[in-house]
Amino acid sequence: MQIGDAMRRLVPPGSLVLFLFFLTGIWLTLSPFAMTTQPSGQPWIASTINTVMLGGVLMVISLLGILAYMVLVLRDLMRETQAKEEAKMN
Amino acid sequence: MPTTRPSLGKYLVGMVASLIIFLAGGWLILAPFALGYQPYGADWVSQTTNNFATGIPVAIVALVAFAFFFASLLGALRAAGVLAARKQPEQAQAAFQPQTPISLVPAPAQSDLDRTLSTLAAALAADLSARREAGCNQAGDQLIEQSVTRRVS
Repeated sequence: MQIGDAMRRLVPPGSLVLFLFFLTGIWLTLSPFAMTTQPSGQPWIASTINTVMLGGVLMVISLLGILAYMVLVLRDLMRETQAKEEAKMN
Repeated sequence: MPTTRPSLGKYLVGMVASLIIFLAGGWLILAPFALGYQPYGADWVSQTTNNFATGIPVAIVALVAFAFFFASLLGALRAAGVLAARKQPEQAQAAFQPQTPISLVPAPAQSDLDRTLSTLAAALAADLSARREAGCNQAGDQLIEQSVTRRVS
């Protein structure tokens, strides 16, 4: 299998969308400070806590989704290669 | 060809992640009202605008991602033979076209009505050809008789 084919299997369109969510999570985490809705030096207000927590959830879930998908595809690729080699041996 | 067990876990992981993110997008839209930092009846504050501007695309794109992973799951199930494969357009067209002309359809494939009609048509054709032959013979006899009577006279 060529590297391009393997990469296409490792990174499907769904994983690209998950990466967009990862970027969105970064923005959500930074937005209260970037938009100065969180007063500097004050305890976090409700909107800041909510937005930062959701940003963190988005980042973690999307990263976990991308990595888990990659690991499972890699396992499939290894199994296929092993099965091909066994077929050649027989 | 070597066969391997189809693993569907990767698609389920993607679907679950997309579903959780869809719910997060929905919460982002509701949060300003649920947590009360958007005053009732007033213009939207900047947090509310930001949450809406982020939450709506997140929810929509999460649905699209869910659809992507679901389509991949269906494709894997079809490839594994669990689901029936889709018909190709050429096969579908061929299915709608009659396979052979009606006259070439073998007898067992015909219905009783078709068999009766074909028997009737064959009988009519035989009768017609017999009448034509008889008519030709009669006309020939008449011509011979006329020529003989002319010669005699």
